[in-house]
Amino acid sequence: MKDKKTVLFSAFRGGNVVPANFENWFERMAAEGWHVDRIRQWNSLWMTFKKGEPRKYRFVCDMQFSERKEYRATYEQFGWQFLGRMASFRVWRMEYQGQRPEAFTDKESVVARNRRTVQAVSVSFTLFLIMSIFYAVWFIFFPDSLSAGDRTQIIAAEAVFLVCAILLGIVMLRIWRNRRR
Amino acid sequence: MSLEKARNRYIPMSETMFYILLSLREARHGYAIMQHVEELTRGRIRLGAGTVYSSLGKLEGDGLIEPVSEEDRRKIYKITSVGSAILWEEAGRIAELYKNSGGLL
Repeated sequence: MKDKKTVLFSAFRGGNVVPANFENWFERMAAEGWHVDRIRQWNSLWMTFKKGEPRKYRFVCDMQFSERKEYRATYEQFGWQFLGRMASFRVWRMEYQGQRPEAFTDKESVVARNRRTVQAVSVSFTLFLIMSIFYAVWFIFFPDSLSAGDRTQIIAAEAVFLVCAILLGIVMLRIWRNRRR
Repeated sequence: MSLEKARNRYIPMSETMFYILLSLREARHGYAIMQHVEELTRGRIRLGAGTVYSSLGKLEGDGLIEPVSEEDRRKIYKITSVGSAILWEEAGRIAELYKNSGGLL
């Protein structure tokens, strides 16, 4: 029997761009005995799970651009285990029975967590948008400065940047629509 | 933050903020706040780590509470005079609500 499973683009599959869905997805994996004990930078692209005993874990995803020094101590004292982070996206875990533990216990802090997640995505979104506007302007207003080869390259670049900007825009919209959970 | 600005931002305030400020009339760290609030509300409100962390950050940033000491990376906070004034005004507002809703119960 296979004892390892690698998942590509875990953060982007299904509805996982919405933090609450990502948490539930981790929880379902753990319930089937698939565990990840450390989260690292590139795990949003590929993540390797090891087969073990099924466990009931609550996962929490928390976007924090800069953490104050008491951040981890606070979570740990409440019983959370720090798994790691992908950029600023931190993942916590707690084993439980009975009532499912929550890290965000009022609407304001749930919405704030999701707002921070949208803000993080908006950084890359803005970069891609600026690049695609830059190339579009160049292509439309200064066509004479370009050779035929340049044009092909610019159209290709424009397509890539525009597609990325649109995809990230959809991600932001999706998180924002689900901001209350 | 001036009292006027704090009033604008915090009144009316959420239950979470109210109970955190109320708890910090005595110096406490995050986990102790959660325990105190759970006791006060007889288990109805059990604040989560993320909510406590972000609320303390916000309240400290706005000068309603201040750190008084630190033990093992845990900051211990206490309410400031601005925080006390806000808490007092909010309590007055809630007392008025209570008084005016008396006929309903």
